[in-house]
This record gives sequence, structure tokens and C-alpha cells, in this order.
Amino acid sequence: MKRVLGLVLILVLVGASFGFATPSQEKKQLTFAYMSGILDPFMIMIEKGARAKATELGVNMIVAEYPKAWGPEHQVPILEAMVAKGGFDFLMVVPTSTQGLIAPLKKISDKGIPMITCDTYLGDGDYNKSSNYSFPLAYIGTDNEGGGYEVGKKLAEMIGGSGKVYINSTNPDVSSVNGRRDGALRAFKEYPNIEVVGVDYNLDNQDKAQAQTAAVLQANPDLKGVFGTNLFSAQGAYRAVVNAGLTGAVKIASWDAGLDQIAALKAGQIDFTLAQKPFEIGQLAVEWGVKYLKDKSTKIPNKMLRPGYVIFTKDNVDDPDMQQWIYK
Amino acid sequence: MHSQAVGPKILAFVGEKWASIFLLILVVVFSMVGKNFFAVKNFSNILYFATTYALLAVGETFVIVTGGIDLSVGFVMGFVGVTASIVMRDMLAAGNSQTVCMIVGTLVGLAAGVLPGLINGYLVARLRVPPFIATLGMYGVANGLALNLSQGFPIYFLPPRVQEIGNSFVAYLLPGRAFTFFERPPNLQPGDLRNLIGIIPGTVLVVAVILLLSMFLLKRTRFGQHTYAIGGSKDAAIRSGINVPRHLMWIYVLSSVFASFAGIIYVFRIGLGNFTTFSSSYELFAIAGVVIGGASLMGGRGTLGGAIIGVLILNTLENGLNIVGIPAFYRYIATGLILIAAVVIDQFTPERRSAGA
Amino acid sequence: MPETVLAARRRSGTALWMGRNWALLFLVLEVAAFILLGTNFYSLENLQNIFVACLPMLMLGMGQTFVIITGGIDLSVGFVMGFGAVICAKFMVILQAAGLPPSASIPLAALICIAIGVIPGLVNGTLVARLKVPPFLATFGMYGIAYGVSELVSENTPISGLPAEAGLIGNEYIFYVIPRKLFSFLVRPENASPADLRVMLSIIPTIVVIAFIFVIVFAFILRRTRFGQHNYAIGGNVDAAVRSGINVPRHLTWVYIISAFFASLSGILYALKYVTGRADAGSARMLDSVVAVVIGGASLYGGTGNVKGTIIGALIIATLETGMVNLGVPSHNRYIAIGLILVIAVLIDQFFPELVGKGE
Repeated sequence: MKRVLGLVLILVLVGASFGFATPSQEKKQLTFAYMSGILDPFMIMIEKGARAKATELGVNMIVAEYPKAWGPEHQVPILEAMVAKGGFDFLMVVPTSTQGLIAPLKKISDKGIPMITCDTYLGDGDYNKSSNYSFPLAYIGTDNEGGGYEVGKKLAEMIGGSGKVYINSTNPDVSSVNGRRDGALRAFKEYPNIEVVGVDYNLDNQDKAQAQTAAVLQANPDLKGVFGTNLFSAQGAYRAVVNAGLTGAVKIASWDAGLDQIAALKAGQIDFTLAQKPFEIGQLAVEWGVKYLKDKSTKIPNKMLRPGYVIFTKDNVDDPDMQQWIYK
Repeated sequence: MHSQAVGPKILAFVGEKWASIFLLILVVVFSMVGKNFFAVKNFSNILYFATTYALLAVGETFVIVTGGIDLSVGFVMGFVGVTASIVMRDMLAAGNSQTVCMIVGTLVGLAAGVLPGLINGYLVARLRVPPFIATLGMYGVANGLALNLSQGFPIYFLPPRVQEIGNSFVAYLLPGRAFTFFERPPNLQPGDLRNLIGIIPGTVLVVAVILLLSMFLLKRTRFGQHTYAIGGSKDAAIRSGINVPRHLMWIYVLSSVFASFAGIIYVFRIGLGNFTTFSSSYELFAIAGVVIGGASLMGGRGTLGGAIIGVLILNTLENGLNIVGIPAFYRYIATGLILIAAVVIDQFTPERRSAGA
Repeated sequence: MPETVLAARRRSGTALWMGRNWALLFLVLEVAAFILLGTNFYSLENLQNIFVACLPMLMLGMGQTFVIITGGIDLSVGFVMGFGAVICAKFMVILQAAGLPPSASIPLAALICIAIGVIPGLVNGTLVARLKVPPFLATFGMYGIAYGVSELVSENTPISGLPAEAGLIGNEYIFYVIPRKLFSFLVRPENASPADLRVMLSIIPTIVVIAFIFVIVFAFILRRTRFGQHNYAIGGNVDAAVRSGINVPRHLTWVYIISAFFASLSGILYALKYVTGRADAGSARMLDSVVAVVIGGASLYGGTGNVKGTIIGALIIATLETGMVNLGVPSHNRYIAIGLILVIAVLIDQFFPELVGKGE
């Protein structure tokens, strides 16, 4: 008896859900949704930039929960739950997998919600050619490879064009970080007297970054330069150098300009860092999104926007016009 | 006839001490194969990074000897670290002196760390929840709390002396030039930095002291005897008059307290407070260390000395592999294999009974 | 003695039913709470999402159910899942490059994955059953080995270049309905206008169907075959099981193979859904699998537990996660919630042992 009741209940629920299609309300105000890649100051800055522009243009913003770890299995459930909840007209997303996010995002696109990918991209990033990932409006992000190249070159120059260098990176499967690594390696290749002793992956754990760098320092006491490809990598690396008492003897390049890194720069613990422009990324995404929603024929040139980057050194870290690029 | 007696004896000896022998072999192999492995600086590094695992392993040993397990230690460590650093940061911002901030922060952190232990102990001892589940539940709660407090970010802007202390050495040696205690030699030239040798990291000293005290507790006090008794047979322990529920409470509190110390040391070492990420698996490596060192998950067996050797094996392995240049994931494979080997060897050397040894 | 029997009879049938099925009740209340407090929680799309979201925990939980009933535990499932995802993905790429069409490369890769993926289970089983290694340690050792080997095979990078059709299976539905216009079976309607796509209903994710086929088969095995009976017998009392003629070592080996099978299967589903393979695909779900099984009524001492309970346990966790996103509650609170639910589950077990049916 109880089983029959249960079965009936389930059938009723399922049947009711068909009729439960929520009609989309006519909203005067546009609503943008932001799905970040992971919880870190860079992603938060994108949100800040987006919110600033949204307020200016009178647009509403909803922000999905920040995934605690990087990967489609962390991001997709949040994304899909947010989409099922509905209530937004445009999506800004940082895809955490070039392949894995294609299908979920396509479903969203089919519902009539346009989107822009920020910081990372789908497929190979070229949305102009015909493919199964050409549906986003655009990709807005730093030229990681180019930036990595500049960082590599600057580090090489700093150590006099010769010596041993080491790269400490986060995840081997993140397109942005890999771009930086590859760019730096390309730069190092131009210096025949520079030897890359290794590339390690700390999986976003700065204790690991510190331990890895410490071991490398131990095996290569004449190490001259280290490049930490993101906030955590740099932090761990520079703490290892500081603890080994080699501040000044080993040059450290970092990426991103969080408050801790700026403090470290001022204290002389790192030598320079590349600051992306996440605030601008957020702003641009909202700006173009609104333009598109108002006029569907709007096209973003090449479907790609690169806001650029700046480099902080000890010399310019206190400049008033550099302060705006700090992630705060 | 003489040789007949010696053979099995040697085997028994090897079986019993195999962990120490293995550690020795590891050190020898890495010294030969790795550049600069065999150096004071490197051994300092190994010990330095092993301190957190060592503390967790100490707490875990007490628990495992009673036949239980504590899965929450890694996250309690993160929770305490976050709590202590928030206190230090806020007190510093409010204008207190660095020393005051550090002391108060440490005390608050330690106090906060007792709570998970109390809850674990209550669940296990009084409500008779299996330790695996009770501590698993606490693991989730501790992590959730740490995340709530830290909002997912490391806690920055601690008093600068925190990191100085955490990375100081007991003595410094600049070969041929200077030897100082507790502070770096003055007038260092830039080139000197590379030659400066730090002897015995301060944190290692602190942990060594804690370790000695714990060994005393486990081996030579009645508390320690009772711990082994409960692990051997709970019923026999009850019948001999031991207040088992109360004792177990203390055991889990102890485990949490050691995890708290680990959290504090972590903050001093890194100079920031951080919640424990999932991929760290601190507790699993701590437990592995304890088991490799000779403890049995059924309880009643295990020593702190063994646990420390187990921890050193795992840390030496990681350090050595790093220096030799072998990619990190081999470390996982190696750890898994060694662990399994440890237990299998245990099976085949039944003479290795070291209850209370 | 007679008094207890009378007392048990006096306890009304409803109370007994409620106690036995407290997890189901909890799930229903949970869903109701989110519907009331959330926005658009009650929609076809959202409810289906929950089923898709519960799959990793359910798959890992299925194997774990078998293991836990025998009084053991399998800590390697998370990384065997990653191992499975990596192997499956890798072979899809290799076979595709060798010229096989997706209709052949995908199933073949899946089969190879299962064949290789059960090896960890074989090792676990042998260690536990024949070498008498405690399950906790044996499977923890395998956890490390599986992780290391997965990283090795994938060279630390997620595998890319899988046939696009894999993503189709992983993300498509059985039925597509464009109201009043079209009904499509298994494939998305071609040439549908954007306006049509907007109102299209997708019903029953393919991946859920694949998973549930295995769930139902193994639920049957657990409940109605001698293998299943033996499983409970061993969990109840190993000596009695041995004396009644059950070949315990062989049985236990099979149990761990089943666990590895489900973990690999979960890896295959991952590869299909996310069109990639990563070594740490399952690392976050390992303990969730144990939680699901325990919430579902199993005891870590062995002898109790069933598939229905595990399904409910997995759904409880998945609903919690989806609901929290819907409400905008930060996910770290979910750990607190799950920790609490877990402890409550066990406490109910302790204090109302009569209510928890044995070997249903």
C-alpha cells in the first residue's frame, strides 16, 4: 500500500513538473550573471569591474558561487544550478575547461542567453571560424603567452642573460597558466646561456610551491631566477627564497598583483610582477554585453578583446597612476 | 645448529626494525644519486617541512593505539591556523605590539582547537559513534568553519616577526667566519647568503621538545599504559577499572591539540593563515606514517618513535624525489607501495610485538 | 523477552516505517524546503540536474555499499575513478587517431577502461582477502598508486582530443520535445529555429539512464542472488560465513573488483560528460561515497546497507549542493551540513537499531 502511494506521488510530481514551466518575466532591467573560475583576487576583481560598469549602465548583476577548486566538475554543477534558477539575460563565464564546458554552455546559448568568456576560452579561443564552440560573442582575456614572454625576457635581462632559472606553476591543465609558462620558456630559449632547471606544478598549494622551490634551491644553489606563474606559486616560491636567506641573490618574477604581492614587492622579496587588468575585463564584458542586448547586430572585432597588462617593479610600485592596477 | 638459530633471529630483527633500515637506505641512495641531498641545509629542510606531519602523527598515534582513528586532524590544523592568524592580524591592526599579538593569537588558536577534540571524544566515547564517522563529520565541520572564517582566502598581514620566528634557526654558521646563536651573523655580504648554514630550525626544536614530552606521556605514565590497555582489549580495560569513556575523551582532545600545534607552526612557517585544501591529505599521510612506523589499526600497538620514522620516510622520499628531479606523482605511487609493504611485512613477522615498548 | 516483542508490536507501524526510512523522509523534506525557500527550484531542468549531479557519488557509493557491507572500506575509489577517466579518455583519443569511427572507438575505449580499471580492485581484494591487510590500509595504498599512475599516463595534463560524439552521449537527453511541434528521440532536433530551441524540453539525461541500468542490475545482485546473501553473511559474522562453506577470500576479492568496476564506470561517465580525462576527477567525491552509504543506513561494522539507501544518500548530498547554489548559500556550509547529517545518521543507527532493517 505504501509503495503504491509512493509511486503515485512520484508520478504526480513528475507530471506536475511538465506544467511548471516558469514563464520568463518581462523585466525592464537587464540582468547579467557572472560565473567565475575559482576563488582568488583576480576573479574577484573581474566581478568588481563588472559591477562597476553594471551600476553605471543600470544593469542588475547576479554572481554565482566561486568554485573552491579549478575544474569542470566543480564549475558545471554550480553553473547548471544557476541556469535552472534562471533570471538573467547575459552570461560572463570563465570556463575551467576548454572542452568540458562546451556542451553545458551550448545548452545555455540555445536558451537564448548570449555569453562572453573571460580570462579563459573554449576550444582554441578562436570563435570566428565555424566549430562547435563558436557560439560565444567573444573572448576577453590577457594575452598570457605574450605576457609570459615579456616576463621571461625581463627576468633573463635581470640576471644578466645567463644562469639557471626555474618555473613554478599551478595546474598543468589550465590554459591561462600554461600560456604564461610557454611564453616564458620561449623567451628563455633566446638566451643560450640560460638553463631552465625545471618546471613544477604545485596544484594551487603554496606550501607545496615553497617545498618544491626549496628543493630546487637545494639542488641548484646557483639558481638565479624563479618565475611563479600565479599568486600562490609566487608566494610559495618567494617564501622559499626568503627562508633560504637568498633574497636579493635570486630574482623572482611573479604574475598578478594582489595586495600580498605588492607588499612583497615593496619589501624587496619579489623583483617584479605582471598585473593583468581584471577590472577592465569585467567592465568590457558588461559594456559589450549591454551593447549586444540592445542591438543584436553588434559585432565584437575578431570576437576577441585583449585589455593588456602592466608590469610592477620596485621603481614604479609607488607611482600614483600605477595604484589602479593593484587587485583590491 | 648455531646458524639455524641466527638466521631467523636476523630476520626477526630486520622485520622489527625494517622502517628504520628503510629510512637509512633511502638517505644513502638519495645522497649518492641526488646533488646536494646530503647537506645540513637539506636535512634541515626535510625536518622543517616534516614538523607539521610529525605533530599530526603524534596525535594520531595516541588515537590509533586505542584502536580508533582521527580523520579530522588536517582540517583542524587549517581551522586553528585561520583562527590564530585572524586574531593576530586584527590585533596588529588595532595597534598592539607584535609580541602580544603573537601570544594571544597562539593561545586563542590552541583554545579553539580543543573544541573539535571535545566533540570527537564525546561522539566516540559517550555516544559510541565509530571513530571513522565521528571524525569524518568533524572534518566537514572544521573545514566549513575554516572556510567561513577565511572566506576562502589566505589571511595576510600578520605581524612580520611571525615569519621571522618561524624560519629562524637555533644557530648560524658562516663557514670560516662566524657562528652565532639565534640570530644571523652581522655584516653579511651578498655572496655570503648562499654559504650561510642554519643549524636546527627553531620550529624543529619546539617540535622535538613536544615530541619528547609526548613520548614520556605514552611510555612512562599511567595514562600511556591505559592507552595501550584500551587498545588491546576494551573490555579488559574496563574490568581493570579504567574509566574508558573519560580516557577516550582525553585522547581525542589530545589529538586535536596536537593538530592545533601543527596549525600554529604552519602559520609561523608560512607567515599566513590558510584553510586546508582538499588535495593536501595531511591526515592520510600522518596515518600512513604512524602505520609504517609499526602501529596497527586494531589498536594496542605502536610507538611514537616509529611514527616519527614513518613520517621521516615519507618526507625524505618527497624531498629526495624532488632533488633527483623525479616528477611529483611518483611520490604517491611510492607512498602507496611502501605503505602496503609495511603492512605485509607486519603480517609475516609476528614476533614484532611491541605493546608499550 | 516476551515484553520486548510486545513492546515492538505496540510501536505503531507508521513510526516503524518512519524510523526505517528516515533518510527518505529527510530527502523529501529537504526538497520541499528548497522549493519553498528557493527560486525555480521545482523545475524539470533543476530536478534532472540533481540526478546528474548525484551520479559520481552514486556510482562510487554502489561499489562502496558492497564493500562496507562486508565490514571493509575502499578508500581508493576516488582515484580509481580518475584513473578510469584518464584511461578511457586516452583510449578514445588513440582509437580515434587510429581511424576508428566514434561508434566503435567510444564503446571500445569504455571496455578497455573497465578491463584495466578492475585491476586496482583485484589488487585490493587480494591484499585484503589473502594477505589479510586491513582494508583501510590496503585501499589507501592503492589510492596513492592509482593517483600516481593516472598522473603518469595523463602526463599531468587533462586529456584532450576526444571524439565530439563522446560529449554528445554525456550531455544529451533521451527525449526532446518542442511543445506542439516536434518530438525527437535520442538526438537533438536538427534545424530547429532559435525560438524553438528556447522552449525545447529535454527529458531524461542519457547519462543517468546508463548509470541506472548498472545500479538496477547490481541492486538485484545484492538483494536476490546468492552472491548478495553471502555478502551480508560475511559482514554479519565472518567465522559463521566460513563455517557455512562460503569461500570468503574469493568472495571478498570479487567485492573489491566490483568497487573498482563502479569507480572506473564513474570515470567513463566523467569522460563522457566533460569530454576530457583528469587524474583528480574523483578526488572530491571519495568521502562523499562513504557518506552516502552510511546515510543510507549502512554501518561501518558491516552487515547492513542496501542500494536504495545509497541512492537516497547520494540524492541528499546532490540536492543539498544544488539547493545551496540556488539559495546563494556559500558552499563551505555544505561541509558543515553533511558532517552533521552523517553524525545524525549514525546516531539513529545506534539508538534505534531495531528500526534499521538488516539486509533488506
